[in-house]
Amino acid sequence: MKKWIAILLTLMMTCSLAACGNSGSSEETGKEDVVKAENAGTESSDSEGESDKAYVQEKGTLVVGITDFEPMDYKDESGEWIGFDADMAKAFGESLGVEVEFVEIDWDNKIMELDSESIDCVWNGMTLTDEVLSAMECSGAYCNNGQIVVVPASEADKYQDEESLSDLNFAVESGSAGQKVAESMELNFTPVNKQSDALLEVASGTSDAAIIDSMMAAAMVGEGTSYADLTYTVTLNSEEYGVGFRKGSDLAEALNAFFAAAREDGSMMETAEKYNVQAMLSE
Amino acid sequence: MELIMEQFPIVVRALNVGFVQTLKLFFITLIGACPLGLVIAFGSMSRFGPLSFISKIFVWIIRGTPLMIQLLIIYYFPGLVLHKPIWGGGEGGRFLAASVSFIVNYACYFSEIYRGGIQGVPVGQEEAGLVLGMTRSQIFFKVTLLQMIKRVVPPMSNEIITLVKDTSLARIIALQEIIWAGQAFMKGSQGISGAIWPMFFTAVYYLICNGILTLLLGKLEKKLDYFQ
Repeated sequence: MKKWIAILLTLMMTCSLAACGNSGSSEETGKEDVVKAENAGTESSDSEGESDKAYVQEKGTLVVGITDFEPMDYKDESGEWIGFDADMAKAFGESLGVEVEFVEIDWDNKIMELDSESIDCVWNGMTLTDEVLSAMECSGAYCNNGQIVVVPASEADKYQDEESLSDLNFAVESGSAGQKVAESMELNFTPVNKQSDALLEVASGTSDAAIIDSMMAAAMVGEGTSYADLTYTVTLNSEEYGVGFRKGSDLAEALNAFFAAAREDGSMMETAEKYNVQAMLSE
Repeated sequence: MELIMEQFPIVVRALNVGFVQTLKLFFITLIGACPLGLVIAFGSMSRFGPLSFISKIFVWIIRGTPLMIQLLIIYYFPGLVLHKPIWGGGEGGRFLAASVSFIVNYACYFSEIYRGGIQGVPVGQEEAGLVLGMTRSQIFFKVTLLQMIKRVVPPMSNEIITLVKDTSLARIIALQEIIWAGQAFMKGSQGISGAIWPMFFTAVYYLICNGILTLLLGKLEKKLDYFQ
């Protein structure tokens, strides 16, 4: 009896090992398929050859990956997600005939979240960098953002052009677009953990100035904010916001069409005015 | 200071919501891992070679890899590799995936503690039971089990207190437990941004929770004192 059980278990183990091997090789062929599909210029990435739009519509929900990021995605008093991006996402979901579900994600894991299909898109004021463009299928740009210099309001007159910045000590978010700008301009800078920490550095006087997103600056700096003594001066570069989908997804195309229609009928501008980001909308 | 007083009610409300998630994960892990640990302990003590071999390999893999990696694998692997996102993207799915990871991980640690507890009972007691004509299961439930429970309480207390703090690892798959809730105020949430104190304040929650647990587990230990 025991012998039989032993043999059975050994067989099961061998099978499970073989299964591992199989899944490994099928994964490889899956990858080849994707490569082939991309070469052929078709739009599907999953093995069934089904379009991402059809997948989402069949599922009935578009899961939108976000972070808490005012004024793009944030919660109102009743706990519902609102903001420029959130409202546009709801309208896009309506146009597809699906429910929109917002899920807070860890921003560092956004590509993994997309690829593992736990979310269907990243729609959260995402800057279209080379990394993002190579890993995701992105919509066209819908907002312009830039890296901007923040200084104490009392010093603002002295620093109105790029030449005047060379003798300042900057605080920038480590690994951010701001740090890249500071590096390329050969400015003196200290990397800190977060953009908000960079502001804290300037407010406390440990750094002379900070380089942060212009959207962040508009929301957090100046009169009526927690940093009333600071102001922003020079814009150093410009970047664009886009929405990311799974590589090869046809939803990016659908969203571009939706954006074009929303620009046409003015609903995009209306939403932007609601959240005070109309100056950033791209044409 | 004034600013903190102003922010306090908003922050505490958000931290409370996060702490409920922490506690839920803690209790579900405990409820799942305690019995599962016993099953694995029996597996690795089994006199049937292949079963004990598989159990030991399993315990080795789970104890030998970081819980953070296990969370990532359990949550993202089904979608990434098999194209079947079994957990779903919502909060419920993330919680379920975290629960499974924690239960499996802690069951493995518990199983080794149980094994120590069972094997620590003198073998003479089992032999005596056999001589009296008791079956093996009778011996386990009537003789060994209570003594084992007494022996495992101190090391289990250790693991249980570690578990309370380990729940914070679940933030890697975006489960919004208390540290996530505290950190949200650093980059900005509900009109508060750049606030660093909420994250440190979460430590108070952990301390109070572990204080209560230490008292309860101490009482349990005293109650089981009559054995020796």
